[in-house]
Amino acid sequence: MRILGIETSCDETAVAIVEDGRRVRSNVIASQTVHAHTGGIVPEVAAREHLRVLDGIAQQSLADAGLTLADIDAVAATVGPGLVGCLLVGANYGRGLAFASGRPFIGVNHLEGHVYANWLAETALGEALPPEPELPAVVLVVSGAHSDLVLMEAHRRFRLLGRTQDDAAGEAFDKVGRLLGLGFPGGPAIELAARAGNPKAYALPRAALADRYDFSFSGLKTATLRLVRELEAKGPLPVNDVAASFQLAVTEALAEKTARAAAEHSVRTVLLGGGVAANLALRAAIERRIGHPLLVPPPRLCTDNGAMIAAAAFYVLRHPGTAIPVTVTSGLKLA
Amino acid sequence: MLLALDTSTDWASVALYDGREVLAEATWHAQRRHADELFPTIERLLGTAHTTISEVDRVAVATGPGSFTGLRIAIAAAQGIARGAGAALVGVSTLDVLAYPHASSKRRTCPLLPAGRDLHYAAIYQERNRRWARRSPFLVGSLDELCRSIGDHTLFVGEIDGAAEVTLTTLLGAKAHFAPPSARLRRAGTLAELGWRELERTDQVKLGEIEPIYVRQPLGQGSFDQPFAPPPRDDAALGLPRRS
Ligand SMILES: [Zn+2]
Repeated sequence: MRILGIETSCDETAVAIVEDGRRVRSNVIASQTVHAHTGGIVPEVAAREHLRVLDGIAQQSLADAGLTLADIDAVAATVGPGLVGCLLVGANYGRGLAFASGRPFIGVNHLEGHVYANWLAETALGEALPPEPELPAVVLVVSGAHSDLVLMEAHRRFRLLGRTQDDAAGEAFDKVGRLLGLGFPGGPAIELAARAGNPKAYALPRAALADRYDFSFSGLKTATLRLVRELEAKGPLPVNDVAASFQLAVTEALAEKTARAAAEHSVRTVLLGGGVAANLALRAAIERRIGHPLLVPPPRLCTDNGAMIAAAAFYVLRHPGTAIPVTVTSGLKLA
Repeated sequence: MLLALDTSTDWASVALYDGREVLAEATWHAQRRHADELFPTIERLLGTAHTTISEVDRVAVATGPGSFTGLRIAIAAAQGIARGAGAALVGVSTLDVLAYPHASSKRRTCPLLPAGRDLHYAAIYQERNRRWARRSPFLVGSLDELCRSIGDHTLFVGEIDGAAEVTLTTLLGAKAHFAPPSARLRRAGTLAELGWRELERTDQVKLGEIEPIYVRQPLGQGSFDQPFAPPPRDDAALGLPRRS
């Protein structure tokens, strides 16, 4: 079964075609650059940009796969969580495409997409797919908008263990990136700067709440701001050391809770998803604690993309009775 | 068969048209439920007209000005439908749709649509040399600002609430005329007719080139409070869809 997946929840316009929830046939992602100069995403600007490019991206996705619309069995689009104005563009385009071509339309939870990115493989046609991740699994979804720690008991069965109480992890990276003059988005820039810095240079508070699986990044953010102001008063800002210390505080908190959840629920697999999952320091910190390698999608499948939406849609179709309402919902939750 | 979609404001409208008559039409106060009600309404109308989506080979969509999000709902849906059905797509200004039924009145006509915060979208339509056409750019402003550029006897149509009607009468006196409530409404049947004619006349634009007429600058770029769109020099400045 070939599913065309559409993702427009934030600032990537993305369309992909995936076979049987696993094999990526094409994966076109247009990252909006209009937000670079505002240092953040302006929802109205993002929605305009999605509408302007979406049809072209969909055509590109079909062309990349060497397929036509007649080869597509179903159309899926993200219906939440995300920016409503942006979600509406992808969802209505997708619904129209499905309706007019006589195919089913599947609304997909964006967070579930990040989870199912772990089932994707960019394997060439004719080559065998890698084995599927084994369940149950603990999944950490960390991005600019989310920090959710979830127990995945079976396909389409998620139990929330913890989530951020304030900012998302990626949001904290963005804010500190801006504070350090590293630009937007902050995640990759901080990771790069941190490589040349000493993570033990400054002691910053951990971004975790004791006892529970929840996270909190606001205290860490304030502490980093205070540290930067103090250091600036003394002389040139040791950007790399601050970046490394901040990154350590974030990744240690995420890794510690993820590893503890994995042990408590004796899961077979630990999965990562979301843009922050591309952070190598985070991966290393989790692997060190769980004692075996992590499953992490390749970077292009960690950040927002249409392939993960098509993959999640496949498992929605395979598990009858678990359909997601097609109404666009900004605050849709994973569990 | 042409399918016409309009979710430019709180009012939504959908119609089916075969080039000769309107086969089915629905116009309703959707408020913020456009996205949920659009597709069920299309399916219902297709049923009413005893036809199927596979018969649709033309799609017309209202491109505004209007609610930014509302415009994008119908345009995104229309692009998807046109792509899925292999149909031609055309965009028609929402204000053109509002004014058109009053062309035979030979009166200067000004359609109004709410633009939020006491502002309205407007444009002036008039017959000149036996040709009915839009004679102004798409405007956005307070009724006070809009009336300054109107001055003469004018028929007002569109979404005019009680307060707006009082304001217009106060500003223009006997020069303000109002179409009766049922004739003020925007109907997708009109959109279908205008869209059909446009597709007979011109080659279709590329799907992605159908863009909303925003009139105002997007938030975060330029001034959102720009009270009045500057007079346009050409179609591009009017916010009309680009032609390939
Ligand atoms: Zn995401």
